[in-house]
Amino acid sequence: MSLRHNLRVVRAVAAADIRLTLREPLFAIVGVVIPINFLLLFLLFAISGGQAPIAVVLSDQGPLAERFVQAMSNSQSFIIHTTSPADAEREIRAGAIVAVVTVPQDFDAALAAGRRVDVPVEINNLNVDFTNDIRRAVPLSITSFYADAFPDQVVVHAVESDVQAHDTGYLPYLAVSIVVAGLMLAALLQGSVNAARDYELGTVKELALAPVSRIAIGLGKMLGSAALTAASALLVLGVVILLIGVRPLHPLEVIGFALLMIAAFLALGVLAGTLVRRRQQAIPLAIASVLPLFFLSGPFGPANWLGPVPGAIAAVSPLTYAIAAFQHAFHGYQTATQDLTVDTIVLSGFTLVTVALTAFVFGRRGVAH
Amino acid sequence: MTETAIELTGVTKRFGSFTAIDDLSLRVQRGEIFGLLGPNGSGKTTTINMISGLSRPTSGGVRVLGIDLLAEPRKIRRSLGTVPQENALYEELTAEANLRFHADLFDVPRKGLEQRISSLLQLAQLEERRKSRVSTFSGGMKRRLALVRALLHDPELLYFDEPALGVDVQSRRALWDRILELKERGTTVLITTNYLEEANVLCDRLAIIDRGRLVALDSPSNLRRSFGDTVLEMRTRPSPTEDVVARIRALPGVVSATASHESLKVTVEGGTDVTGKVVTAVVQSTSLEEIQSREPGLDEVFLSLTGKELRE
Repeated sequence: MSLRHNLRVVRAVAAADIRLTLREPLFAIVGVVIPINFLLLFLLFAISGGQAPIAVVLSDQGPLAERFVQAMSNSQSFIIHTTSPADAEREIRAGAIVAVVTVPQDFDAALAAGRRVDVPVEINNLNVDFTNDIRRAVPLSITSFYADAFPDQVVVHAVESDVQAHDTGYLPYLAVSIVVAGLMLAALLQGSVNAARDYELGTVKELALAPVSRIAIGLGKMLGSAALTAASALLVLGVVILLIGVRPLHPLEVIGFALLMIAAFLALGVLAGTLVRRRQQAIPLAIASVLPLFFLSGPFGPANWLGPVPGAIAAVSPLTYAIAAFQHAFHGYQTATQDLTVDTIVLSGFTLVTVALTAFVFGRRGVAH
Repeated sequence: MTETAIELTGVTKRFGSFTAIDDLSLRVQRGEIFGLLGPNGSGKTTTINMISGLSRPTSGGVRVLGIDLLAEPRKIRRSLGTVPQENALYEELTAEANLRFHADLFDVPRKGLEQRISSLLQLAQLEERRKSRVSTFSGGMKRRLALVRALLHDPELLYFDEPALGVDVQSRRALWDRILELKERGTTVLITTNYLEEANVLCDRLAIIDRGRLVALDSPSNLRRSFGDTVLEMRTRPSPTEDVVARIRALPGVVSATASHESLKVTVEGGTDVTGKVVTAVVQSTSLEEIQSREPGLDEVFLSLTGKELRE
């Protein structure tokens, strides 16, 4: 089989898959929309989970009391509003807020006199995550307030030096990880649905009985799936770059790694579709694969910070290398112990091995008349 | 060029402990229409899968058009045209798109492709529908299109799975005509069918396989003759007794005799002498109300060789 014939097969399989996908709008829409849904849901989760809503009852209007509230606000741990004691009580009972912090009436006077001041903190402790946030953040706010209001009395200071050239917010960091998961999901969905469709419709026999290389068929399937995956990828990247405002420091790196990871996960999708052979099984399988891999591949910080067992799993997950590469492309720093060359080699190797495995599985399992 | 299109030598195929094909040997000559018959689960599909290179035998040899299956499966596929039972057409693409896709897979030269597609579609009376989606086609049209596709790369060997399946009388006849034309052009045709009239009309030779074994291999007429040359169907009143049936069965030239409610079916060979003796034996014991004489059918041969129990 000549190179020309191989290329002809790749082009024909890709073109047929694109046409078939466009003629089944439901699958096309699902394939494009699910990754963007995934991105938005995770971002909403990240935004809502970062700060706890609390009410402050400001019984003392003095300048120190005001500075204390300002210190709490600066901690970026709370969404604060001031209210009356009665409203605050009603809100916490109704579950509208996590805590009520009451600044007592003699706050300023007591501090001026050097007396102890008790700041009542009422916590709705139904969720230990939020509860612990409050337990950590209120004492930190008190420390910050003291350092600001009475600098002579606070003699221990942290002297910070940064490894990275600039800070990166939690949301921009997480958004980049979610983009990678979104690309993986888009590629897995399109690849697996395109491969499973031929089994489901019986047209796989037309492919299996053709005198062509199985690798050419697999590459054609990947290329055909890449069109809609690219549409999905553009949407996901567009939301992150244009709406959330996370601008890549190295745009060419973003494009290069986006193409590489789409190829890697398309190959995995085609393999999954070849194995499950049903589109209705391929879609949940793609979603179910991405979620655990996402959490185990260092989405919130470097993968090796996860601990020994999750870290070991992260080390064999291609998503780990994709996230590390994308964090570098967007934020310009290395989040993993390996460098970009290793990320590139791992993702390229993963793609090649998966394509070969798909060809092997397609050839071995064959089809029945 | 070898005169043998397909050669199976001592082929066995096992799936775990289940033996699907058991030491099967047969030869299909170039240019003949060869039928593969057998009940469901008899091993037809497994045999075809091995011939088309989709499956490998556990032991034994398969050569197609002189090519060793294990050595060069892709080369075999190039010379093989296939019409699978469920057509395997992309229903959401047009007839023409399906054909062009096939042409790409089989590397049919682009030069002259348009003309080849047109002439084949005309032959199948589908030219007017070339731009229509296959999902709008009737069962017979899809079958004809699948045949056109299989012929697009001009195969030396055509495999047609159940040609008459799900098509009306006109389409069936049109398909049979196309298959017979292929034979005239020297194409070897392998068909599997459960429709014995089809096998009778089309096939030069038939292989009947059951439980993975070859149980008969001959031309349709020879197979029928092996079952006797005449079937006598008689209506009697009252029904013939078991003694009478046994006496008839013992007559020289009687191949088989079976009685059911007020009817008697006797298969004989040896012409009118035997027929006369059978009729005499019947009228001596009961009243013969009606008698019909005909040639044995392939279905009778088939049932006698494979039994009457249902297969799944």
